[in-house]
Amino acid sequence: MTDLAVRSPVALLRRVTQPARSMGRRVEGRSVYLILTLTAAGLVLLGWFLPWFVGPFTAGTGFSPQDVVSSAPTGFATVLVYVMGASALIVVLSPLAELVARLRKMTLGVRVDQVRAIAGAAGLVAAVLVYVLVGVIREEPAFGVLSSTTITNSAVWLTMYGFGVALFAYGAKGLVLTRPNLAFAIAALPFGALLPLMFHQAPDFLLWAASSLAIYTLLALGLNVVVGFAGLLDLGYAAFFAIGAYACASLSSPIHGIHLPLWVLIFLGAAIAAIFGALLGAPTLRLRGDYLAIVTLGFGEIIPDLATNNVFNLTGGPNGLPGIDQPKIGPVDFGTSPQWYYWSIVAVTLISVLLLRNLQRARVGRAWVALREDEVAAAATGINTTTTKLLAFAIGASVSGLAGAFYGSMLTAISPDAFQFQVSIAVLSIIVLGGIGNITGVILGSFVLTFVIFWALPHAHEWSATFAHNFNVSAVGNINFPQYTYIIYGAALILMMLLRPGGLLPSRARRIELQTGVESESLAAVQGRA
Amino acid sequence: MALLEMASVTKQFGGLTAVSNVSFSVGEREIVSMIGPNGAGKTTAFNCITGLYPVTSGRVLFDGTRVDGQPPHRILRFGIARTFQNIRLFSYMTATDNVMVGAHWWMKERVWDGAFKTPRGRREERDIEQMALELLDALGLGDRAGSYARELPYGLQRRLEIARALATRPRLLLLDEPAAGLNPQEKNELMALIARMRDEGLTIFLIEHDMSVVMGISDRIIVLDHGEKIAEGPPAEVRENKRVIEAYLGSGASQEARTA
Repeated sequence: MTDLAVRSPVALLRRVTQPARSMGRRVEGRSVYLILTLTAAGLVLLGWFLPWFVGPFTAGTGFSPQDVVSSAPTGFATVLVYVMGASALIVVLSPLAELVARLRKMTLGVRVDQVRAIAGAAGLVAAVLVYVLVGVIREEPAFGVLSSTTITNSAVWLTMYGFGVALFAYGAKGLVLTRPNLAFAIAALPFGALLPLMFHQAPDFLLWAASSLAIYTLLALGLNVVVGFAGLLDLGYAAFFAIGAYACASLSSPIHGIHLPLWVLIFLGAAIAAIFGALLGAPTLRLRGDYLAIVTLGFGEIIPDLATNNVFNLTGGPNGLPGIDQPKIGPVDFGTSPQWYYWSIVAVTLISVLLLRNLQRARVGRAWVALREDEVAAAATGINTTTTKLLAFAIGASVSGLAGAFYGSMLTAISPDAFQFQVSIAVLSIIVLGGIGNITGVILGSFVLTFVIFWALPHAHEWSATFAHNFNVSAVGNINFPQYTYIIYGAALILMMLLRPGGLLPSRARRIELQTGVESESLAAVQGRA
Repeated sequence: MALLEMASVTKQFGGLTAVSNVSFSVGEREIVSMIGPNGAGKTTAFNCITGLYPVTSGRVLFDGTRVDGQPPHRILRFGIARTFQNIRLFSYMTATDNVMVGAHWWMKERVWDGAFKTPRGRREERDIEQMALELLDALGLGDRAGSYARELPYGLQRRLEIARALATRPRLLLLDEPAAGLNPQEKNELMALIARMRDEGLTIFLIEHDMSVVMGISDRIIVLDHGEKIAEGPPAEVRENKRVIEAYLGSGASQEARTA
């Protein structure tokens, strides 16, 4: 590596854009590379069309880089925006080119990579300059008419970030191919940390959306322990989410006069959910596969019903529990600043990811996988199947308890509706879609599916209306999207499973399994007890 | 004193008696084979010993302690490890991980050691991995340590199952048809391996159909037929036993053998 110091930056760039030499993990690396570039294209697009996304909510005019051009037809910023536009086209189209090339079983050469890397770099520089002009210098002629600078900020930030990811994906190709998880973390972390800053003063709904995304990520991570690692199909996972949420809500609201701080509730919620996880797991120990799924399905129905029926006068009946505390840490009032919720949830999610990943690679993680692979052999190799299963249920449930603690205090009120069967199914879809058993895949799946379920589908109607209005295409505006929500959702899932049956990022085990198939029987069945 | 003792063990499935009033013992550092025609109850006997089947009546004693009625993982912890007739590896775990699962029960690492990567947990993980790699090396699987069990050829899968059993630190190793599907060279290697394991202090109790293996390594042979023990003794003696020949070749066979 010593020769790097004397090389020119261009040579360095050429060097890092060389195709990776590691052919062994090619398949996984390729898909990661594609996903990163698609992300970059998506971010650039999102930045440019941000007004469409937020328009329906803000009831005001939004501004994106195009607006910079239209409001200042002769300014220096206009040139920059044209540079951004040209490079954005390259960034947005290159993943498509990649897909087409893969379908035709060709590989795009190094030269294409270089073009994309240069486009990414140029776009990034232009975006930074535009941001400086817009945000810092406030160059008068260019931005005299802009009324909503925060959205302009957000749009340029997102564009900038998209170019950043593109540059990273094309530049650090070697890293992306050999260490996909690390590459994901490097690309996603700054975005995650900067998101509240991008949207500071901007509509809170973006941060609320991001926080509920984090909650679903937590739920998916928890369910992944039970279903992905230990191979126990759980269709009633929302029950543990409900238990955690109700427990925390009871302990931080006027109902019982108990007001515990959020950071205590996190641990309490996790502990209570874990206890219930073990309790509800106990009767299912002898079951496997379909039978286990049916029993857990029952739990998932019973718990919200108990809450609806106001059992022991603890749950407030169909109306749920209102008036949950807004946490405060010193001068920071979470209630008025959603970005604190956001950052604390992201921190908790990150810590959970780390701990779960450690567990996966430790003694207990091996025991879970052994149990999943062959329960009889696991027992005959000295694994206590009972405690190992209960531990999976308890740890999986405890993560949903964390999510429940945040959920209640974010919404300030909870009701049984939020914990119905659809939640369990949504979380299960997330892990199946993302890549069951693979933590990175599960996180990715939660991003994709929460966006689709909670943002794209409910708002498709408004977006199409904006589109129809702007381009005067009334046919698009008349489509009744809410009517087709679940059809679109279902069709997307089916298509996904046909195209990538192992999920977006399948675990190595799952990839091989799909080519062969599995059979399993329970220990209890072998012993004649079930 | 006998290491393993079966005392009048009977196992019934509904009306079918798979193992009927069988008694025998396996002494310390012995190599004992159990043979018999298909359906004689050999694997059922193994499953009774390892707790996969609860015995209907009778007792199983290991080193003087009664082990029947205990769950399989507890029986393993007494020092009885086994392999399976139809290989039961953890298909989608690497060879190393398969062996490391064998160390599961005696590892000191707790859940929080794993989650928080405590120095104690990390040290033990490293030691166990080292142990696993050495064990794989010793069994000739050193260069396949990172392969999934499923990806290994058949003969290596059999060896990996033995490696996993050895990692549980057993005193008695039950091998269920370890030579099935092996070629002559692999069979010879297997016999050498069994002899080596015995020399290192293990007791081996195996089910085997391959007579060259059985006759070559066994100190004693136990013969089951229709769930009953019909003979027991050193190889030379069992080979001549009239009931054994009948069981294998039909009732006319021993007569023909005599007249011929």
